Formats: sequence, C-alpha cells, structure tokens
Amino acid sequence: MRRSLLLWCCAVFACGSFVSTFAQQGHPLTGTWSGDWGPTATERHPVTFVLNWDGKQVTGLINPGPDSIPIASVFVDVATWTVRFEADAKDAGGKPVHISAEGRIDDLGSYHRTLAGSWREGAAKGDFKITRD
Amino acid sequence: MPHSIPSAGFLAVAASILLALPAFGQHPLSATYDTGRKVTLRGTVTRIDWVNPSAYLFLNVRDAEGATANWAVEFGNPLELEKDGWKSNSLHIGDTVTVEGNPARGAAMQAFATSVLLGGSGKKVFVASGKPHPPAPSAPAPRGADGHVRFGAPPGKTGYWGAASATALIENTAAKVPMNREGLLANLADADRVAPFQPWAKAVYEYRQRTLLKDDPIARCLPAGGPRQFQMPNGFQFLEQPQLGRILVLLGGGDRNWRVIYTDGRKQGEPDEVVRGYYGNSVGRWEGDTLVVDSIGFNEHFWMTAGGLPHTEALHLVERFSRPNFNTLKYEVTVDDPRTYTRPWTGGWTVQWVPDQEIQEYFCEENAESTFIR
Repeated sequence: MRRSLLLWCCAVFACGSFVSTFAQQGHPLTGTWSGDWGPTATERHPVTFVLNWDGKQVTGLINPGPDSIPIASVFVDVATWTVRFEADAKDAGGKPVHISAEGRIDDLGSYHRTLAGSWREGAAKGDFKITRD
Repeated sequence: MPHSIPSAGFLAVAASILLALPAFGQHPLSATYDTGRKVTLRGTVTRIDWVNPSAYLFLNVRDAEGATANWAVEFGNPLELEKDGWKSNSLHIGDTVTVEGNPARGAAMQAFATSVLLGGSGKKVFVASGKPHPPAPSAPAPRGADGHVRFGAPPGKTGYWGAASATALIENTAAKVPMNREGLLANLADADRVAPFQPWAKAVYEYRQRTLLKDDPIARCLPAGGPRQFQMPNGFQFLEQPQLGRILVLLGGGDRNWRVIYTDGRKQGEPDEVVRGYYGNSVGRWEGDTLVVDSIGFNEHFWMTAGGLPHTEALHLVERFSRPNFNTLKYEVTVDDPRTYTRPWTGGWTVQWVPDQEIQEYFCEENAESTFIR
C-alpha cells in the first residue's frame, strides 16, 4: 500500500515536471487553470477554468464536464493584467445564479502563473486563486 | 488601451547592455548578469567546465577578511571560444588568474568574464570579442544536378551557415531599432516599431523586455523554433535529398535538432490535422532561385526570436531562402498570426558561410549543473 502510494506520488511528480517543461508562451490566459474559491479560508470549492484566445476574445468554460458553465464574457486589461469573468450557472436547487470573478495575473512569464482575486456567486462572496496547469 | 511606460531603471540597464555583450551560450546574459557593475576576482582555478552552452571557470577567491569563497565564472560558448583561438587547455587547475567581468544579479558568487589574465605571466588568455568573423572571398552559389541552387556544401566540400546579420526579428519597414544581440531594446518605446502587435502581444513583449528576458524558454534548453533557428550560435546546415523529396535543416544550436522541409510537391496540411511542433509542418517549392517554404502547425512553447516576440498556434510562416553568392544566405520570413499581430509582416537577415568546417557537437544541457543549479 505504502509502495503504491510512493509510486503514485512519483508519477504525479513526473507528470508535473513534464507539463512544466512544455509551458505555453502564447496568450497568457490560454490553457487550463485550476484552484479553488470560497467565502472563508476553510470553506473552499475546487474550480477549473479552460480558456482560449481566438484572436478577438477570450472564451471558455468553468468546470468542464457534464455540469460545465460557459463563460459569458471575459474582460482583460493588458496594462495591469486584470481579468474579469462573468458567467451564469445554476445552484444546487437548480435556480439561476450569476458568477462574477475579478483577479490579477501574477508573475506573467512563469510556467505556473496564478490568477487571484474576488469571487461572487449569487449572494455569496469570497476569493479565488487559480494556477495555470 | 493603456500602455506600460519604461522605467528610468530599465532604460539605464538596457542602454548599458546595448554597449554590447557578445552572444554567448544559450541563455539571455542580461537576465543573469548585471552589466552595469564590474567585478575583479583574483584566485586559483579549482575546476574548468569546458561544456556547452557556456564554459565555466571555478575560482577560489579570498576576500579582505581572509575567507575563501568559490566563484563560478562563465566565459563563453566553447565553439565560439575555439574560433577565437582559446583552447580547453589554455588554463589549468591550480593556475592563478585575475578575472574582470560582470557580477550576477543578486547575491550569487557568479560572474561573466570579459577578460582573464594569467597570474604568473600576466598574459591575457581571454578577451571577450563578440566580433563576427570576416566573410570568406565570394564565389557563385553552387548548384545541384537539377539546376537548383544548393544551400548546403558542394560535393567534396564542407562548410555550414554561421553568424546571422541580425539576432532578432523586426519588421523590415522599420528604420534601425537599437537593441543588443539578445534582442533587448535600448528604448522600450520602440516596441511599436518591432512588429504590428495586438495589444496583448505588445504587453507580453514589453513584460519580457522589462524582465530582461528571464523567462526565455531557450534558457531551459527548449528548442529555438520558428525564425530563431537561423539566429542561434553554432549555426545550421542544409542537407538536400532530392531523391527523397526533402531538405533537412540540421541545427547546430540547441540540442542537435533537425527540421524537415518537404519538396516532393505535396500540399500543405490543414492546421487542425498537423501535429504541432517547434519547427512546424514545412512544404517547399522553388520560385526561380528562391526556395519558398510554407509552414504551419507550431506549438506555443517557444519565443520565435530573441527579444521575446510572442505567437499563437495560428502562426503561419512563409520563408524565402536564396543564396546570392557562395558565402551569403538571404533569409526572409513573413509572419502571419492574426491572433497576435494586426496584419502579416516581413523581416529577415543574411547569414555567412563558414567554409571548410563542420558544425560541432553541441548539447545545451551539458552544463546544466553550472547554469541551473548553482
């Protein structure tokens, strides 16, 4: 069991090393970003963004999969690398809920640059931090 | 759209760098060394790393308090050094030397040598020249049996393409844009003259310039894709194989990579069907004595030129190769990436033939210990 865990950890580390070697140098937002958001430091919800620059706008999804949320709009201020996302989702009860998140890209040239800031989901407020995979 | 304004600090650093660092090795020197400062080290040689992309001396240097510290002194690419007459045995372990150079940024005990003086004799064993080697006398371009210009060596001869006349790509309609050999602008306000950037691309380019190219992928030994493959130290070679309908480009810089240009008449593939890479999917055809190469299918893992020009997977290059005389290769490239630039644009340079020599063995990772770990 312990050996399996060790092998699994090695595999994860190796995959991480491989990905970091082949970093993306194009539009800074393009790619997959993962992290979490939440109203407090202890209540966190995992979140994944998949973003793409098509030459005119950034498009993408939040949490790709069966319950993915299309991103309605992405605004990027390239002077400060501040990014604002707007999206419409459904809460656990199936009611429409609006998501807005605004953050700033940190260490733009890094292989694992981060995007962190504030998050609003319906009446809930919190913060988020995602890292480019 | 607001634009970043270059700081006075950036301008000062860039101006001092413009005064010329030789283009050694495979990592941007500006990001590692502070060319605005000088250091003089007197010490004993403890180790010599005669490896690519940069040779290193290790010196035990005693400070004013009598404490000894081991300094790593980078002094250039071995292949370039050998062309300048330096030999791997010009220095020996135990020799006492005086090194003048530029210290590393930060606290690392590391420097880039501009000269090395042998202690006993006072003989100067190394001076960074950075000067291109003079071209050999010219002759008509060689031709193959099919009548086309050959870009490689004629049968029975050796040689390869060496130093490029420019080490960064800029639009050819621009007047001369002052920059150093690493593509670092003397004045960041000139960014608009380099290429017709989309706003995001200009912001990324300026960020890379302001951070002294510290994130350049070639510093991590990734291949120099796109036009940059023809600007690397250690040159390149063409191997024409008309019987196989292809031309191989053998690259001396980087990791002994090669690129295939198909000349068998095939059509270019669809962008979504091409496996993306550093050199793209290249299809060539002849227009008179000019080889025109159309390439798509690039990944986004590289900077397509020194200085940090960005691109996306939509990059489409049209390269035009000609050999106006035996010793000169003319290279022109049209960059078409509508996700990064507002319109297609063209730049280019010439490359000098290095006669009677072969590209030497070069592996970027060879001194990873000195370059990355220290």
